Amino acid sequence: MSILYDEGQQAIATESRRALEARVSKDELLPLLQTQGAYHQPFWTTAKEQGWTALALPEAHGGLALGLIELGLIAHQAGRTLSGAPFLTSSFGAAKAIELYGSDEQKARWLPGLASGETIGAIAFAAGPDPLPAEPAVTLTGDRLTGIAGAVSGGLSADVAVVLASGPALVLVDLTGVERTAVDSFDNSRCIADLSFADTPTETLATGEAARAAALHILALQAVVTAHEQTGGAEVLMEIARDYAVTRKAFGQPIGAFQSIKHRIAELYGLVELARANCIHAASREGQADFITAAAAARLSATEAYDTAARDCVQIHGGIGVTWEIGLHLHMRRARSLALEQGSSFFWEDVLVDRLAGDEA
Amino acid sequence: MSDLEAWRAKAAAWCESMVPAFGKAARKGLSVEDDLALGRRYQKAKFDAGFAGINWPVDLGGQGLGHIEKITFEAEEMKHGFPNVYFGISLGMPVPVLMQFGPDRDFVKERVLKALQGEEIWCQLFSEPSGGTDLAGLRTRAETDGNGWKVNGQKVWTSWAQYSDYGVIVVRTDPTVAKHKGLTYFWVDMKAPGVTVRPIKLAGGDSHVNEVFFDDVKISDDHRMSPVGGGFAVALATLMIERYVATDSAGFGPHLDLFVDLAKEVRLNGRPAIEDGRIRQQIARNYAMRAGLDSINVRARRMMEAGMTPGPEGSLNKLVAVRSRQKLSELALDLQGAGGFAFDEHASPKDDWASSWINAPTGRIAGGSDETLLNTIAERILGLPQDHRPDKGIPFNQIPA
Repeated sequence: MSILYDEGQQAIATESRRALEARVSKDELLPLLQTQGAYHQPFWTTAKEQGWTALALPEAHGGLALGLIELGLIAHQAGRTLSGAPFLTSSFGAAKAIELYGSDEQKARWLPGLASGETIGAIAFAAGPDPLPAEPAVTLTGDRLTGIAGAVSGGLSADVAVVLASGPALVLVDLTGVERTAVDSFDNSRCIADLSFADTPTETLATGEAARAAALHILALQAVVTAHEQTGGAEVLMEIARDYAVTRKAFGQPIGAFQSIKHRIAELYGLVELARANCIHAASREGQADFITAAAAARLSATEAYDTAARDCVQIHGGIGVTWEIGLHLHMRRARSLALEQGSSFFWEDVLVDRLAGDEA
Repeated sequence: MSDLEAWRAKAAAWCESMVPAFGKAARKGLSVEDDLALGRRYQKAKFDAGFAGINWPVDLGGQGLGHIEKITFEAEEMKHGFPNVYFGISLGMPVPVLMQFGPDRDFVKERVLKALQGEEIWCQLFSEPSGGTDLAGLRTRAETDGNGWKVNGQKVWTSWAQYSDYGVIVVRTDPTVAKHKGLTYFWVDMKAPGVTVRPIKLAGGDSHVNEVFFDDVKISDDHRMSPVGGGFAVALATLMIERYVATDSAGFGPHLDLFVDLAKEVRLNGRPAIEDGRIRQQIARNYAMRAGLDSINVRARRMMEAGMTPGPEGSLNKLVAVRSRQKLSELALDLQGAGGFAFDEHASPKDDWASSWINAPTGRIAGGSDETLLNTIAERILGLPQDHRPDKGIPFNQIPA
C-alpha cells in the first residue's frame, strides 16, 4: 500500500528545495564537467549542514532515525537542482551496509562520521556491466583484497567502501592509501574512480549467499534513493519544457499550441507521475517482503522518465537546447549517469521478472 | 478493522454469495436478452442488499455514503464478472444528472428508484456522426413547437439505447450563436413516436452501441434540464459526475499474472518464453507501469478517506492502462503463435487475450480518446495553450461544414 506524505515529510520537501535552489546553480555545475576529481562543495556542505547525511541513520550513531521516505524526498529535490556530488546515495548505501551487517565496533567506528558527512562512503559491487556479479572482479585471500574495482561512483573521494569480493564476500575497506584512478566521464562530478586493491586489509560483513542477498538489498536501497533523484530531474525538465513551450513562438503562436509539442509534454507528465507513484510506494515498503519488487519498479519507471524527459526537453527547445550555456546537457548527462549507477534497466528488469515469475523468494 | 475495511469485507462477502446465481458460470451461453434479464435480477438483488446508489441520497433510494465506499464496492464487484454492464452508463451519468437537474422531483424519484432496481435503463445521447470529441459541434436540433419542442437529427455510439427506456440528450436550439451557446439539455422518452434505434455491430462482434434517429419527436418543455442555451454546462457536469469510479490498471483487460503464466507455459526457441529477454522486458515494463497506476489509485483513495480531493494524476489511468493493454494483448497472441488464432466472440476481455485485443480500440476511443486525454492533461494540468480553433466565437451556422 502506498502512502500520503505527512506534514513533517512535506516540510522536508519544501525546506530542502528552498536550500538547494539557493545554493546550487548550473553556472557552478558546468565547469565541473571539464575538471576531474572535483565535486560541487556548496552542495555537500548544504547536505551536511541540513542533516541530510544523518537523516536515515540510527540515532545511537549520530543519525536522525528517519527513513527512505524522507531521504527520498531530499533526493527528489537534489534531482531537480542536479546534485553536485553522488555521496548522498553512496554514503547512505555504505552506512546501511555497516548498520545492517556490521559489528558494534564497526558501527561505532564508521557511522558517526558518515552521519555527519565528514566521512564519505562508496559501494563497489560491479564487475564490468554486471552490477551484482556472480564472480566479483576483486579477489579476497584471507582478509586481504586484490584487484581493481572499476568505475566506482564517489570512489575518488570516499574514505570507506563496501566491496563485493570473490567468495562471494561483502567486505568493509578503509580506503586510506588505496590507489584510485579517475575515470574521465561525461559527468565528472560523480567522482568516478577505479579502485586498485593490493593486499588491502578488509573486515567481513557477510559471506556466501548472505553476501549476495545483502549486496542486492543495499543496491535496492540505493536504487530507491536514485529513483527519487531521477524523478526530480524528470519533473523539472517537464516544467522547463512546458515553460519554454508557452513562451517560444513559431508561426504566430506559442509552440505549446502544436499537438506534437503539447502531447509530448503531456506524455512526460505521465512518465513523471508513474515514477513518482512507484517511488513513494517503494520507499514505504522498506523492510517488507516485496521491497525489492517495489524498488525495481521504481527504478525502471524513474530511469525511463528521466531519460525520456532529457531527450524530449532538448528536442522541444530546438537549437538552443543543445548549447553548452543553457545547460540542458547537464540533465542529459545526469540522466545517463544515474541510469548506470545502481545497475542498469536490464539488471532491474531481470530482478523484477525473477520475482514475478516466482524464481526468487 | 476500520469502518472502510468492515465495509469492504461486507461487500466482498456479498459479492461472493452472488457468484452461483450471477457469476461467469451462470452467464455462460446466455443470449444477450437472457443475460440482460439476469442482469436486472442482479441489480435488484444489489439494491435489496444496500449496494445500489451507494453515494446517492437516501431520500432517492441511495445509501447516503461516500465516493470511497462506492469505489470500494466496485473494486470487489469487478472481480466476479456479474451482468452489470447494462446499467453502467445509466447509473453512471444520465440518472445522476437527472437527480441533479430534473425539474419534476416526484418524477425524478420514481425514475431513480426504478433505475436503481434494474427496471428501467437510461442512455446518454451526446455523440453524433459529425463529431464526438467536438461535443459542442453537434447538429441535432430542437425547434419550438407550440408549448414544447420538436427534435430532428441523429445520435450515434449510444450505449444500450436499444434497451433504454429514457435518455438524456443535448440538442441545438439556436444555430445563430456560437456553438457552445446554442445548446439545450433535455430528457427524452426512448419509446416516443419518431425515435428509431439501430444497433451497430462492432469489430469484436457485439452490438452494445447504436445509432438513434429522431424524426419530429415531440417533447414538452418540462423535459428541459437546462436553461435554453445553457445545455453545454449541464453536459460538462454530466461528464464530471463519473470522476470517482473504480479503476483498473489492467485497462479492463487481463491481469499481468495471466501473461506471466502464459510466458511460463509457452516455448520460444526451445526455451520457456519467460526466459526470453524480449518477453522479460515487456513483463517488467508493464509491471512498473501498472504498479505506478496502482499506487496513484491507492493514494487517491487515501486522499478521499482523508477528506481531500485526489490529484489530477488519476486522469492518467485510462490513457496509460488501455494503451498498454492493447500492446500486451498483441504480444500474448504473438506468444501463442498459430495457437493464438482461436477466437470466442463471447469471451471476456478480462481473461481472454484475443477478446482483449479486438476490443481494446474501443477503450482508447470511448469516453475521451487518447488524443483528447493528452490535450486535457496538457491544457488543464500543465497550462499549455489550446489548439488553434477556427470555429471559435463564430455563429454555428457560419462555421464552414
